[in-house]
Amino acid sequence: MLMTGAQYIESLRKMKTRVYMFGELVENWVDHPIIRPSIDCVAMTYDLAHDPEYADLMTATSNLTGETVNRFCHLHQSTDDLRKKVKMQRLLGQKTASCFQRCVGMDAFNAVFSTTYEIDQKYGTAYHENFKNFMIEVQNNDWIVDGAMTDPKGDRGLAPSAQRDPDLFMHIVERREDGIVVCGAKAHQTGTINSPWHIIMPTQAMREEDADYAVSFATPSDADGIYMIYGRQSCDTRKLEEGADLDLGNQKFGGQEALVVFDHVFIPNKYIFMAGEFDFAGMMVERFAGYHRQSYGGCKVGVGDVLIGAAALAAEYNGAQKASHIKDKLIEMIHLNETLYCCGIACSAEGYPTAAGNYQIDLLLANVCKQNVTRFPYDITRLAEDIAGGLMVTMPSQADFKSDVVCGKNGETVAEICDKFFSGSPACTTEERMRVLRLIENMCLGSAAVGYRTESLHGAGSPQAQRIMIQRQGNLAAKKELAKAICGITK
Amino acid sequence: MKCGVRFCGGCNPRYNRREALNEIESRFKDIDFVNALVGVPHDLLLVIGGCTNCCAAYEQFDTKTDVMKMWDVDHIDMIEKQIKEKIK
Ligand SMILES: Cc1cc2nc3c(=O)[nH]c(=O)nc-3n(C[C@H](O)[C@H](O)[C@H](O)COP(=O)(O)OP(=O)(O)OC[C@H]3O[C@@H](n4cnc5c(N)ncnc54)[C@H](O)[C@@H]3O)c2cc1C
Repeated sequence: MLMTGAQYIESLRKMKTRVYMFGELVENWVDHPIIRPSIDCVAMTYDLAHDPEYADLMTATSNLTGETVNRFCHLHQSTDDLRKKVKMQRLLGQKTASCFQRCVGMDAFNAVFSTTYEIDQKYGTAYHENFKNFMIEVQNNDWIVDGAMTDPKGDRGLAPSAQRDPDLFMHIVERREDGIVVCGAKAHQTGTINSPWHIIMPTQAMREEDADYAVSFATPSDADGIYMIYGRQSCDTRKLEEGADLDLGNQKFGGQEALVVFDHVFIPNKYIFMAGEFDFAGMMVERFAGYHRQSYGGCKVGVGDVLIGAAALAAEYNGAQKASHIKDKLIEMIHLNETLYCCGIACSAEGYPTAAGNYQIDLLLANVCKQNVTRFPYDITRLAEDIAGGLMVTMPSQADFKSDVVCGKNGETVAEICDKFFSGSPACTTEERMRVLRLIENMCLGSAAVGYRTESLHGAGSPQAQRIMIQRQGNLAAKKELAKAICGITK
Repeated sequence: MKCGVRFCGGCNPRYNRREALNEIESRFKDIDFVNALVGVPHDLLLVIGGCTNCCAAYEQFDTKTDVMKMWDVDHIDMIEKQIKEKIK
């Protein structure tokens, strides 16, 4: 089944998900002005699948059912699928200029699919069958699923079982005949409220003493004991202002993160994918992180496309578009952005089949991709802010641009004065100039900067996590042998 | 006569693929350009890619003639020629 965006939004209304924001329980979160743009953003992942101009990227044929499914619910069957995943993410970034939230689930599907297969091979468990059955449900219902990996982690210097509060890492508190009971939380969860289901994965490699923390499962988001505390974003309360439009920069779309708490949640056996096999926690983490580091070579590039376009418009509206340094800065932005895309495509093209049959990316290249993503969006925003000029952060509010309060000696209103002093080139109205500057603000330091900047840094692992993987995969020993062979060292 | 059309997903197109199709359509008033569908026979099949990779999958569609592919706005004349050849 392929849902439309409207059907997806209606499906959320049936959920009983418990959400808290600003210290209060949110009764109707689907229509809440702070949350709704993030829901509309996810809805684009549904709507584009129905558009013939985009269907080739947005859909795939399921290896489990033979049906056409949304690519976000697909298990990659080839390197072509891996490349198309990155292309789809770029497309969505372009259409939303925000985090569209559906990638974590797709990356979890693929990591859990292959890891459960290998756990079963070693331990004779039935996790892979459980997961396959769950995946068929996901595909048949076209669900967005939250891929939940990151634990709150408490004291970073201590192992899970050594924390003063055991709930700082997700763990099993009771094993029953019919399932397990878990406690803990997942932090920074993207699209968590907008997802009817969650897949939980361990946050790091585990040792034997942490076996109860090596746990993976699926659960409905409104299961008994689960609740979410909304993460606020820079400038979020602008969305609550009456008639909010211009000041938002991007009125239509946005991202979403929250803390998800699991207070003694029961997980039936059929939704368990790991329960104590600590020696496979590292594999699941590494595979998920690998896919997610590839993902950023698509989604951030699409958002970058919008920011580059906005900077080019700002230059035109300022009348500076012909200056050679402005042209050069736009070229530099494109160069940086396409470099990220090259990395996303390269780690996909060099992918390989796992023992379970789905395709995994090249780990070294995916880590290089993400390491660049921790830097280039920062360079791109710096250039965008340079081109935009200071007005993007000093401009009066939408209310001033619409105010009929008289402030001038000749009876000019605040709106007229703003219009006069903030006009740019004749290529645009003052309002158009304001719109594009607010969009740049939104992406560089407003609510979309959560996704474009800090998520680029920490999402899918902080920079050091990639450097560790690059060190492991980089094969320095072989490089030394190359050097020796060339310069005539024989020992 | 029906020409099935399959677009690539358009992640990084170097030209406007929709406008290119509109231009081709305007040159053939008697041909019905439709979104290609699986299990439906098409007289012609046109794949419109946004860049040189032209990555759209099209093997799943039935066509009575060879597939035509374009990935550049400059290919419009070439496609016009190919269609004329095929419908002769
Ligand atoms: C916007 C956003 C969206 C996200 N979405 C998701 C999501 O959907 N699902 C999900 O599972 N996660 C998500 N994440 C979480 C992301 O994976 C984590 O932020 C990341 O793994 C870093 O963890 P942390 O934030 O706890 O930072 P920390 O781990 O506290 O890192 C902070 C710094 O301390 C260093 N550090 C930490 N521990 C150690 C140590 N033991 N030794 C040495 N140095 C250390 C790090 O290298 C880093 O420099 C998201 C994050 C963001 C910002």
